[in-house]
Amino acid sequence: MNKRLISHAISVLLLGLTLTGCGKQQGPKVVTLGLSCDSLESAWLVMNHSEVIKEAKKRGVEVIPVIAEGDAAKQNVQIENLIARRVDAVLCIPKDSSAIVKSIKNCKAAGIPIVMINRSVSGKVLPDVQVIANNQTMAENVLQSFADRARRNGKTYNVVLLIGNLSDENAALRKAGHQKAIAANPDVFKLVAEVPTEWNLDTTVKGLQNALQANPGANLIVTPSDYLWPPIRSVLEQRDRWAKLGDARHFPVVSFDGDEVGMQYLQDGYSWGDAAQDPVVEARLAVEWALQLIAGKTPPHNIIYDEGQIVTIDNFKELGPQVWSYSLLK
Amino acid sequence: MHNPSSDCQRKVWSIFREMPILPLLIVSFLGAIAGVPYFCTVGNLRNYLLQSSDLLIISCGLTFVVLNGGIDFSITSILTLGSVAGAYVMALSPLAATPALSIPVAIAVMMGIGLLVGMVNGLAVTQLKMPSFVATLATQLVVGGLAVQFTSMVSATSSIAGLPEVFFVLGGEGRFFFVPILIAVAVWLFSWWLLERTLFGQWVYAIGVNPKASFISGLPVKRTIVGLMVLSGVCAGLASVIATARNGVGMSSLGDKMFLTTIASVIVGGTNTSGGHGGVMHTLLGVLFITLLNNALNLLGVGWYTMMIVLGGLILLSAMSTHLLNSRAGWTWKKGQAGDV
Repeated sequence: MNKRLISHAISVLLLGLTLTGCGKQQGPKVVTLGLSCDSLESAWLVMNHSEVIKEAKKRGVEVIPVIAEGDAAKQNVQIENLIARRVDAVLCIPKDSSAIVKSIKNCKAAGIPIVMINRSVSGKVLPDVQVIANNQTMAENVLQSFADRARRNGKTYNVVLLIGNLSDENAALRKAGHQKAIAANPDVFKLVAEVPTEWNLDTTVKGLQNALQANPGANLIVTPSDYLWPPIRSVLEQRDRWAKLGDARHFPVVSFDGDEVGMQYLQDGYSWGDAAQDPVVEARLAVEWALQLIAGKTPPHNIIYDEGQIVTIDNFKELGPQVWSYSLLK
Repeated sequence: MHNPSSDCQRKVWSIFREMPILPLLIVSFLGAIAGVPYFCTVGNLRNYLLQSSDLLIISCGLTFVVLNGGIDFSITSILTLGSVAGAYVMALSPLAATPALSIPVAIAVMMGIGLLVGMVNGLAVTQLKMPSFVATLATQLVVGGLAVQFTSMVSATSSIAGLPEVFFVLGGEGRFFFVPILIAVAVWLFSWWLLERTLFGQWVYAIGVNPKASFISGLPVKRTIVGLMVLSGVCAGLASVIATARNGVGMSSLGDKMFLTTIASVIVGGTNTSGGHGGVMHTLLGVLFITLLNNALNLLGVGWYTMMIVLGGLILLSAMSTHLLNSRAGWTWKKGQAGDV
């Protein structure tokens, strides 16, 4: 009887397959882009994600978005599914610059162009195009402009350097840029602590608390992302150092990203400078290049840079309004 | 008077009561074929089976523990530590230059980690009388912490790349897509045989229903619990091999998000969280259903958070339906707990 039931079930399945027309496709083929995003944890990522969809829609292109929720293995699985979905190109903000190589290989094997957004991949197997901020240079420049100002004012700083998750190439490049600026200005900067954050807010709170406890003379925090502002604020509040510029308790912070939190704190006088990368520019460039690759064109370089803006308390009135998040400020 | 139609209805009801996920799986599969573009293509069906393979292996191991009324939180940490330790052997150790040697050693290390952690879990539950919930949570923290610490010592990033290309065969690369599927099928068949055809399997069920009565009846309760914890660990170690080969790198975040899908596969399949009822056939259906859900919703471009809501809702529904169906069938819920002997 069980066998009969199983055979009935199989018959139903086969009938279903026949009736529905296995693998049939509906309507005329429109250009479809797969959009694989590591996560939507920061305002920058949210803006970039929605801008890609908006830009694609404007050009009459369909987008299939998938979010990996910070899981590199899941991101590879999702891109496998996008390839099976026969998208025309894949746009990707990778979680892990090494693990994503598997997906790049899979895309190449399937003849599907893949464009990295915001986070680069280095090594032997490269995506077709990478649209990224010039992380190292921007990180170096924002800290250099702070050093120039400090030198003019005759001040020196003991630096606590926050470090992102180093499986994210952006974090590694920003760290390198910050370190280069610190090394280039020994008369201004002394690195007293490096705090690995893993892009985790709780880890950052604990690491920063410990670093400031162990180094009471520390007087500058350098963060690789505006995403880390909540733990920075929390720790400074605990130490009664969350105060605006001009207040004796003020603790200077130099940041990166240019999202609305970082820009708001810059406007309000809590931050001294922000290297602002542009999610709108990167989204438009990525969609543009994906369509060019689909059309068979080859980019002049593998990396296309978003040069960004170095916004400081000195040039905020002039450059602030040019940053994407300015319109969101209170 | 004998009524064949009523007989058939009873059989169908009994199958549905036993495996409530089966009709849902069939309907979902047909729905995906009809409504999800590109679902029923060779490439996607291949992906579907590949994506089920490591989940099936790790879920089979967990099924033994859940059948016993326990839980094993350490499986995802085993997956992670196995991944980075194996990747270290293949990419960074002195053996790295000779893949013919480094690959088998790496596989042995990955599965050995599973065996060791499973053994520790089993001994903690049986000798220290710790509930499996506490014991495996502790080992999860220790092993997961070790994985991150170890990775930061040997690599500048949270992953270890540079594994030998031939290792990727185990992940189903290219024309070898069938390899992880065959491994998963072999693990499932072995687990089924162990549960359904051996004395050990009967002990697992009996202890799951009532550990105290089993102990009084002279069953080797402690040995069985250690055995199934080891099985769970070894399955996690083997899943680590497949997942590492699939991703092409060892990752200290590999298992971070996998526990939910693993426990969902076991519970949605119909295995009773209080133990004594269910099995790897249920788990197979659960794995096929969860993977189908992930795959189809991906193809439709449905967001991750929506998937989480659907998954959480299904776990709740399955637990409720299993409880209701078992209550109707006169199933009595056990009072004791595994390890409480």
